[in-house]
Amino acid sequence: MQDLVRMLAAWAFVHESADEGWKASVARGRKLEPGELEEGPDAFVDGLAALVAEEKERLKQEIVNAGAEHEQGVTRPAELGRKLDAVAFELAELRGRLESLQASVDAIAARGED
Amino acid sequence: MSARGRAIAAVALRRFLRAAWQARFGLRRGHARRRVFARHLRLACEELGPTFIKLGQLASVRPDVFSPETVFELERLQDRVPEVPGAEIEAILAAELGAAPEKLFSAFELRPTATASIAQVHQATLAQDYRPVSGAVLPRGSRLAVKIIRPGIETFIAQDLALARRWAGRLARLPGMARLRPGSLLEEFRDTLASELDLRNEGRVADRFARDFADDPLVVVPRVIWRHTTRRVLTTEFVEGWRLNELGEAERSGIDARRLAAHGAEVFMRQVLVHGRYHADLHPANLFVTPDSRICYLDFGIVGRTTPAERIAIAQVLAATVYGDAERALRYSRELGLEVPEDKAPAVQARVADLMKAHLAGREQADVRGFALGFLSMLADFRIPIPEGYGLLVKALITVEGVARAIYPDIDIIQSARPFATRLIAAQLSRPERLHERAPAALKAALRELLA
Repeated sequence: MQDLVRMLAAWAFVHESADEGWKASVARGRKLEPGELEEGPDAFVDGLAALVAEEKERLKQEIVNAGAEHEQGVTRPAELGRKLDAVAFELAELRGRLESLQASVDAIAARGED
Repeated sequence: MSARGRAIAAVALRRFLRAAWQARFGLRRGHARRRVFARHLRLACEELGPTFIKLGQLASVRPDVFSPETVFELERLQDRVPEVPGAEIEAILAAELGAAPEKLFSAFELRPTATASIAQVHQATLAQDYRPVSGAVLPRGSRLAVKIIRPGIETFIAQDLALARRWAGRLARLPGMARLRPGSLLEEFRDTLASELDLRNEGRVADRFARDFADDPLVVVPRVIWRHTTRRVLTTEFVEGWRLNELGEAERSGIDARRLAAHGAEVFMRQVLVHGRYHADLHPANLFVTPDSRICYLDFGIVGRTTPAERIAIAQVLAATVYGDAERALRYSRELGLEVPEDKAPAVQARVADLMKAHLAGREQADVRGFALGFLSMLADFRIPIPEGYGLLVKALITVEGVARAIYPDIDIIQSARPFATRLIAAQLSRPERLHERAPAALKAALRELLA
C-alpha cells in the first residue's frame, strides 16, 4: 500500500498543479475523522487524496534535503562506506608501491654486496 | 647522417616510392590512394623496428590526426621479434629484484610465452602467499606472468626518437604536413612511450580497473604482485584462456559467447560512462576469454579518460546514435568539442541521418564500423576538426564492435547498447541533485500551463 501511495505521490509531484477539484478533495480528506473513510467511495477518494498529498510533501522534502545535502557535502552511512572503501583501496595501493620500492632497494643492496 | 638515420631514410624512401607507384603517382584517387599509402606506412614501421612499431600503434588510436585508412591499417602492426636469451633475462631479474629467478619464484620458465617489441612474458610460480591491492589472497603455487622490458630498449627508443624529431622538423616545413603538427605529436608520443616503459604505471592502472569491476563476476583483471614488480618487471597472476584472435569455433562452443560479447560491450560503456577511464588499446590480442566464460583484460598501456561533464554528453551522443536521432547526436557532440559551423549544420545533420539509416537502423545487423568510418570521412569532407578525445572514443567504439564480433560474430552492438543507454540516461535524470535542480522549473512550467 505504501508503495502505491508513494507512486501516486510521485505522480502528483511530477504533475503538481493548481487543480481546484484536487485541492478540495485533499481538504475534505484532511477533515475526515477516523472510520469515516469507509463511508462511501467519495470519502475513500478524499481520504486517499489527503494521504497522497501528505506523501507528496514528504517526497518533496526528501528531494529538497537530498539536493541540500549534496550541496553542503553532508555524509550518509552508505556514502561513508564508499569513502572508507576508497581510502582502504588507496592504502592498499600505497602498500603496493612500498613493496615495489622495497624490491628496488633490495636489488640495489644486493648489487652493493657483490 | 648516422647509420641508423640512413637506414630510416632508405626504408622511408623505398616505401614511399612503392606506394607512389601503386597509387599510379596520384592517378588513383581518394580512398584507394590513401589505403595504398597507409599499407606502406605500416610495412615501413614494421621494418624499422620497436620505436616505429610503437609510434604506429600510438598513431592507430588517433583518428583526430590521421585518416581512417591509416588508423585501421596501423592497427594491424605486427611486432614479432626474436626472444631475449635466458641469461640476459636472469641478469635483468637480478638487477631489478636483487635475486636469481629460483630464489624469487618456486619455478621460472626461461623460454618466454610471448614476445613483443618492448617486452616479453615468462611464466613463473608464486613462492609465498600474496595479498594483492584488490581481490582475494593469491596462494603459494599460483601461476604468474612475468613481463620484462627488453634490455637496452630505452636507449634504442631514445636514439630513434631523437632522429625522428629531426625528421619531424623537416616534415613540418612541407606544405600540407604542418596540419599534422609532427613535432608536438611526436612529443605526445614520447611521453606516452616513457609511461609505457615504466611497467609500474601499467600495474597501477590494472589495480584501478580491478577495483572498478570488482562487482562484476564476468570480468577478470590479473592481480599485480607488487613485491616482484619494478620499473622494468611487472609480475601478475597468470590467467588461462584464449586470446580473441585464437578463438575458434571449438572454443566458442564451450562458452556462452553471445552473453559474453554483449557483456563485453557493456563493460566498455561502463568504463567510459561510469568510471571515466577506459582501455584505449583494446584489440583482440589484449583480451582473453577464459574457459569459464569470463573476459580477461590485459595490457593497460594506453588509457583514455573522461570527465563527468563529458560522460553526460557521451551518454547522450550514444543514446542518440542508438535511437537514430542525428540532431541530438550533433547537439551533444558540440559539448564534446566538435565544432560544426552554423552554415554547414543542416548539411552535416542530413549526412549523419543518412549514415544512421544506411549503417544502423536500416539493416538486419548494425554496422558501427561502417557508420563511424563514414562519419569521420564526412567530417573530413566538411573540413571539421575532430577533437582528440572524440576521435579516440569513436575509434574505441569501432574496436569494441570488432571485439564483440570476434567473440560472437552475429552480435548487433546497437541492439546490445540500447538497454544500457536507456538505463544510463534514466539514472542521470533521476539523481536527487538533478531532480532538485529541475523541480522548481518543472513546477513553474506546470503552473504556467494551467494559468495560461
